[in-house]
Parts: sequence; structure tokens; C-alpha cells
Amino acid sequence: MGALTDPRGYWDDLTITEQGVTAAIGLIVLSLVLLLLTGALGASYFLFLFGLAGMYALLSFGLNSQWGFTGLINFSVAAFFGLGAYGAALMTASNSPLGGEFNPVFGLLVGLVLAAVIAVAIGIPTLRLRADYLAIATLGLAEVIRLFTINERQLTNGSAGLRGIPTFFEEWPVLGTVPDVMPAIEIELLPGSPVVLGLSFWQQLLNVALLLVFLGGTFAILRRAQRSPWGRLLRTIRSDEDLAKALGKNTYSYKMQSFVLGSLIMALAGVFFAHLNLVVTPDQLDPITTFYVWVAVILGGSGSNRGALLGGFVVVAIREGSRFVNEISVIPDFLGGAPLRLLAIGLLIILVMRFRPQGILPPQRELIWPSAIDDAAPSRPDRGVRDSKGGGTDD
Amino acid sequence: MSIIEYAANGLVYSSIIVLGSIGLSLIYSIAGFANFAHGDTMTVGAYATLVAFGVVGGVGFSVLGLPMGFFLAMLIGIAVAAVVAVVTEKIVYEPLDIGSIGLLITSIGVAFVYRALIRMGFGADAIQYDVGTLRPIEALLPYGIRMTQHDVAIVISAAVLVTGLHVLLQHTDLGRKMRAMADNPDLARASGIRTYRIKLWSWIIGAGLAGSGGAFLGLFNFLEPRMGFNVLLVIFAAVILGGIGSVYGAMLGGFLIGMVVEMMPLFTDLGIPIGIEYAEAVAFLIMVAVLLMRPTGIAGDAIDGEGV
Repeated sequence: MGALTDPRGYWDDLTITEQGVTAAIGLIVLSLVLLLLTGALGASYFLFLFGLAGMYALLSFGLNSQWGFTGLINFSVAAFFGLGAYGAALMTASNSPLGGEFNPVFGLLVGLVLAAVIAVAIGIPTLRLRADYLAIATLGLAEVIRLFTINERQLTNGSAGLRGIPTFFEEWPVLGTVPDVMPAIEIELLPGSPVVLGLSFWQQLLNVALLLVFLGGTFAILRRAQRSPWGRLLRTIRSDEDLAKALGKNTYSYKMQSFVLGSLIMALAGVFFAHLNLVVTPDQLDPITTFYVWVAVILGGSGSNRGALLGGFVVVAIREGSRFVNEISVIPDFLGGAPLRLLAIGLLIILVMRFRPQGILPPQRELIWPSAIDDAAPSRPDRGVRDSKGGGTDD
Repeated sequence: MSIIEYAANGLVYSSIIVLGSIGLSLIYSIAGFANFAHGDTMTVGAYATLVAFGVVGGVGFSVLGLPMGFFLAMLIGIAVAAVVAVVTEKIVYEPLDIGSIGLLITSIGVAFVYRALIRMGFGADAIQYDVGTLRPIEALLPYGIRMTQHDVAIVISAAVLVTGLHVLLQHTDLGRKMRAMADNPDLARASGIRTYRIKLWSWIIGAGLAGSGGAFLGLFNFLEPRMGFNVLLVIFAAVILGGIGSVYGAMLGGFLIGMVVEMMPLFTDLGIPIGIEYAEAVAFLIMVAVLLMRPTGIAGDAIDGEGV
């Protein structure tokens, strides 16, 4: 039953939380459309934010396929994100110490290959470790990578970072010229406040298109993987690794596959970021990026790809919202900006772990093919389809 | 520079790392999770010392270039760190009904809250204690050792605190119960030990030692909101090297890792081209190597596969 063919039935089939989230998203989208039409929110800035949120969602997808599927505590998200960003930037930036100014497609390839190689190199020693040791070891190795990018100036330009990165489609035959060719459109809904869509708007629109390709592709692959026997095995490893071993599975090999897959997705987010932000510095490898992504995944619901999507958007709302609070003069200076963001993230982690450790949108029917659900299941499974069918939770 | 000089620097830095490591190891074995807020507990101790020092001022005679007021302020800093840790345990960790991984993730949130509040109160800039800068001790210079009286104060104070903990663990009732609980929590509970109370005491002692380590770190370098987080991984490396759950292992591990970090320039002298800026990286690599080859650490007992 699709949302389009049978909206009523689709709505009834959602859990109460899902209905709440859907309604909230509806309201937010509506208010965003109003803000955009009245010109209160710049269209190109909105698209930039959307790109950023989608990028966090992509990172969350990556972490989800490691932590949510397999239970690997990877605290080196920022490092793989940085590898993707640096791979892309080193190949394309105008001040790249390695020559640069190649086609962004090469940057994409280099970023992904770099991430895959490092993922295997980090995975070989650490994936045998038990969960909390894995967390500490990956955080330590991520710091090694960060120290490397800061100190090896001849390779990475050090703390100055890489500038002059082209947009992804700049050298493509048709797409490269779109922003210049497209006319500036002026929409005047309210008298006196026209909304102008110019060069930067088309530029950002292209970015968003690229992001949607990345996001859509990743989502489709992960959804397929999650419901496949492969995904089922990963979930077994997550809940009881000894059981998976006892069934004769080489759990180390499966953990490695899941680790590399997740790292590739994170690097993909890094590549996108390089072409969105056009500047890459070692700051992007700071551990705080890792923890933002963890917040997104835990908040959304570990193992749930829809949850990761939601979490990514919430994280950007917090990041950019705190910047906005900074501009309101009523708020005292010392409260605004970075400390407030840190406080919000910290409190959010504590509150989620206290009151909803399974996240807002825990995986329910995502884990099984829709056709596998029989009609005997209650129409409103508040505790999830799996529970009501006697499957129990998976964590 | 001579080996002796690096060793002297290493001794000072090790003293600080040891104070942090003991607390982390205690909480790891008794509360049962890797506490990522431990570094920021050190920061709390450092800033509490700063505030207390501002209040009590430079009262009293001066010992090793530090007024007695500083030592008094440090005791207050230790107390504040301990109180903050106990309050956090009561409000945050105790009501949680999740495993050690959930607690680990929660402690990251706690760390952010500590750090955010400190940044709101004191800003992000580096601050120093108002105790003046000292020249190296003249008598040691002929031996090639450049150590200030403050450095000596750090080493002696750390030695006093560590000895105190040793006496507590070996010769008091509380110490025996703590060792029993670190060894096997279930058995300890079954033997009639009020494990809840022991857990609170280990938070008090662990956070108190972290607070003193933070205060010394501030004296050794300077204070800034990220100071504790910056040494957290070095402390984890020390704890893992020594063997998680072993207080004496943490002392040994802290000493060794502190020495390695400060003796980094020796590598270049020996012809191994690795800069001082990679000191921490070397500490992490040692940590990973230890995890692989001897996960129980140098002094660790053979723990069961799942650990605490």
C-alpha cells in the first residue's frame, strides 16, 4: 500500500511517533515554503543549508551501516569525512600542493579510494577489539590522521587548508554552464519584496541535485542491503556475535565489509562537502564532527535509515539555529554561538539516552520486505511490527 | 639536550597523566564504562582551582614558588570536581538503564555540557594562574636539567596523592571493598558489600584525582576549555597500556606514556625522523599495539572476554 494509492490506509498504518514526525515535517516544510516565498529566507542560502543537512544525513547513513547494522563503534567519522574532502580538494583545488585542477570526477575517485584503503588499514587491527576498545582506538587513529593533515604541509597545505576548489559540475559539457546561462528570475508574491533567483541559486540547485543523487543512491543500496541476508547477518553480529560465529560465519570479514561500506559513504559526504564549501581545512577533521554524526544516528534511531535522514536535518538545525541565536541581541554574548551549540548537543545526547535510547524513528518495518508482513498484524503497531509479531527488539 | 633533561620533563608530565589515569581506570572498573567525560572533569578541577585561588588569594607562606593559598585552592578544586562527578552520577548515569556502550555515549554528552558551561563562564581563551613564571632551579642547571620549582611541586604533590591512594587501597576497609568490587562486582555484592556506596566513593576519588591533575596541567601549561579533552586520549593510552581496571597498572602506564610523549625528541636524535608534533600520535599507536598484543595491559589480570 503506497502513500499515493491509499493515503488513508498508509497513515493508519504508521505508528503514533511516525504520525507525529510526519505531521511535524509537514508543518516545517509549509513554514519554510512561506518563508521562502516572502523572501524572509534567501533561496540560495536555504539550498546551501539543505545541502549541509543532506551531507549530515549521508554521514549518518555511513555510520548507520557500521553502528546501526553491525554494532561497530566507529569514532573516526570525521577522519573518513576528511579523507573524502581532502581527496577531492587535493585533486581539484587551485592551491593544491599536488598540482590539483583535475576534473572533480578524479577527486571523487581519489577520495573514495583513499577512504577504502585507510578503512582497511584501520580495520585490520581494530575490528578484532571489543566495542569500547574499538571506540577508543578509532578515536585515537582519527587523531593521528588529523595530526597528519595539520603537520604535513608539503602534502596538505597544513592549517591553511585548500582553496579554489571548483564546483562539481564546472567542467561538464552542459551542466557546467547552467548557472551562467540560466536567467535571473524575479518572483514577486508580496509587493515590495521580490525573490530573486540568480547565479548562486542555480549553482546551489546543482549542488542539491548532486546531493540527491548521492543520497538516493546510498539510500537505495542500504535499504536493499538491510533487508538482504547480508544485512540480517550483520544484525546478528550486532546482537550476538558469538551466535554468528557459532553458525559458522566469519564475523571479522563481515565487520570489515560493513566498516569499509560505511567509510566509503562518509568519504562520499566529504567529497560533496569539498564542492559545496569550496574550502577544506583540517578543522573538518575535528572530533566534534564525529559526535555530531553520532547524535544524528542515535537521535534518529540506530539502524534506521529514515532516522538517520531525520537526525541529519536536526543536527543542522541545531548548528545553524545556534548561529541564528547569536544574532539576536537579547541573548547575552557569552551564551551564543559555539558554547551554546556544544551545550545543546551535549544535552541532546543525555536526554535521548535517558528517555528514548532507541531513537525517534527506530527501525521497524524497514528491516523486512513489506510483503513479509501479514494482515494479521495489528493495524497500529505502537511497539513496532517486529514486536507485535513476537520478534522482539533487535538491540 | 640530554636524556636526563627529557626525563625530567617526562617526570612532570607523567605525574599529571598518572593522576588522570588512576581516576579513569577506577571508574572504568567500578562504574563499568569508558568515561569520555573524564578529561573534562580535569578541566572542571582546573577552573575551580582558578576561581578558588582568586578568592583565597596568595595567602600564607610560599612553598616551591607557590603560595599556600594555591594548595588550598587546589583542595577546593578537587572537592568541586568530586561534587560535580557525584551530581552527574546521581542525575545522569544512575537513572539510565542501558549497557556500558550507552553509558559511554552518554558520557560524551556530559563532557560537552561541562565544556560548554566552562566556555560560557570563562571564554575560549587560554588563561594562566596568577603565580608568576619562575626561572629554572639554578642548582640543577649544571646537570642539564631545566626544572622550575612549580615542576617540583607538581611531582611531589602527585607523589603524595598517589601514596595516599595506595595507603587507602591497601590499609583501609574502603580500599579493600573497592579492590573487591573492581575484581568482581557480582561477588562483591553477594558478599554483602554495599556496592552502591563503593561506586560513589570511586567517583569521588577518581574525579578528585582528575581535578588535581587538571589543576597541575593548568600550572604546567595554561588553562583552556579543551585542555582536558586534549589529554584524554593520552590518558586512555596510559590506562590501556597499564591494563584497564588496575590502579597500579594505571600508575605505571601513565608514567610510561608521559615519558614517551616528552622523550619524543630523542627519536630524532637517534635518527628516526618523527617530529615532536607526533608525540600524541605515537602514544595512540602504542595503545593500539598494546590492545592487539596484550589486551589486558602490562599489569592487568586475565579478564573474561566481555570485560566489565
